[in-house]
Amino acid sequence: MKRRRSLLWVLSLVALIATYALVARAVSRPDVLPPAQDLAGAFAALVGRGQAPAAGGEHQHHHHSSDQVDTLLQEGVTLQASLAVSTARVLFGLVVGVPLGILLGLLLGWSRRADDYLHPIYVLARSVPPLAFITYIMLWLGHSEAHRLIPIVYAVAVTAVIPTYHGVRDIAGKYVVAARSLGARGRLLLAKVVLPAAAPAVLGGLRYSVAIAWMTAVGAEMLMAENGMGNLLVGGGMWSSRLQTRSDPAVIIVGVLALAAAGWAMDAATRLVTARLTRWAR
Amino acid sequence: MTGAVKIRRAVIGLVTVAALYAFASEIGRGRLPDRVWLGAHYVENVQLLPTWRSLAEEGTFLIESGILPSSVAVSTRRVMLGLLLGSVAGILLGLLTGWAAHVESLADPWVTFFRYTPALALLPLYVVWFGYGEASKVLLIATNVAMITLLGAQHGVRGVPRVYLDAASSLGAKRWLRFRKIVLPAAFPSIFASVRIAAGLAWVTIVVAELIDARMPSLGYLLALSGAYPRVPSMLIGIATVGALVLAFDLLALLVHARATRWMGRAG
Repeated sequence: MKRRRSLLWVLSLVALIATYALVARAVSRPDVLPPAQDLAGAFAALVGRGQAPAAGGEHQHHHHSSDQVDTLLQEGVTLQASLAVSTARVLFGLVVGVPLGILLGLLLGWSRRADDYLHPIYVLARSVPPLAFITYIMLWLGHSEAHRLIPIVYAVAVTAVIPTYHGVRDIAGKYVVAARSLGARGRLLLAKVVLPAAAPAVLGGLRYSVAIAWMTAVGAEMLMAENGMGNLLVGGGMWSSRLQTRSDPAVIIVGVLALAAAGWAMDAATRLVTARLTRWAR
Repeated sequence: MTGAVKIRRAVIGLVTVAALYAFASEIGRGRLPDRVWLGAHYVENVQLLPTWRSLAEEGTFLIESGILPSSVAVSTRRVMLGLLLGSVAGILLGLLTGWAAHVESLADPWVTFFRYTPALALLPLYVVWFGYGEASKVLLIATNVAMITLLGAQHGVRGVPRVYLDAASSLGAKRWLRFRKIVLPAAFPSIFASVRIAAGLAWVTIVVAELIDARMPSLGYLLALSGAYPRVPSMLIGIATVGALVLAFDLLALLVHARATRWMGRAG
């Protein structure tokens, strides 16, 4: 059974790639569906090996479509550097945002009084998409790294609150009653009962935080950053003229594939860490 | 009794925030710089913290001129269409892949790929394929929504206790009946939770899509325009409007959920 499943999996993957290659060949519009060699060419050009795909020998068709590669190469953009910058932003967002979210979640989940006063404010704040106020941050802090990082931190923190809140209130709640009746108080209760009981929920929510961090980072970079994967996808240019130049789908597809790979890797790492840390819970 | 205390405390919390803002904006008036460096040039007459009064005036203007209502209508329409298309496709696919194992292994590589792709990254590709305008935006939202609801539906179907299915088949229920009477109702909460998450993310998607392709009239356009001048009261009202819409969608979703699962009882 297991072998049959993995066989189907591989078959489907091969079919996916073959279908794409055949359709791209049949459509024969490299400006819409770039053939496989264009993707390879764009990849090679973006990692700094070989020339832009247009130099491959094809003719006028490519003229437009390699504009994006040319612009990116002129600006010295490479795939690996863009991925590194985006990853750094995502990690920063996680490292700062997750503890903030956990702290707020602990506060709201722990104290009924704090929950009553602060929860409505939190719900209002949570509803505002962080990318909507990116320009407002720029007015305050100028054109800097801050307005790319703050939305990521905000999005991550707001996401990390929910699983912590539920972990503390719903899961730890019944243990708290028992521990209280045995005389546990204050710090002992928090460290020995609440945190361990809530930990699986908190760590489970980490996967959402990772996904949200990537999405916000790419969005922020698409809107206003001169580096990172979002910038690579929209092919540079200033904030007001983004996506105005003719895009090269080969570059975008290579970028999307790289993002999917990075997202997968980070999710796998998160699951691994989570499984390690909550081994005692199973 | 406790309900009244809760409401009183909620009101106190919100009023405190509003009062703190009023205080800060009064202090900031005349003290905060009104000349701001915007990357390439300075802009004058910027109210970094507009007072409640100027926010109210700007809000009246935006509503009376019809800018805000039409922006809200356009953006909401896109989100609703994308949400509808995406959740129908996603839920059907999720139920199918969750229920039929061989379909799942066939679909898995595709699902794995899209699942780890930040939906916004597809925006430039959709612009190449479908051009600017409605199609690329609605489809972008639909893709995003479909992915989330697919996972939700799959999760829901897989979480159905084996015992239920075995009990039903031992009583003679056929496959379709088991699916309709056991799997669907049991998967509903998980599907619904994913639709709720998807609705929130649909708004994130549309705001970014509209900011990048800023055209009349849409909420993204309002944000882009007020950012270009910059006109802070308009900007803040735009941000607050997006937030209010997200909140409204969320509340609506909760209401529908409570209605639809009334049969389950609220034992906890």
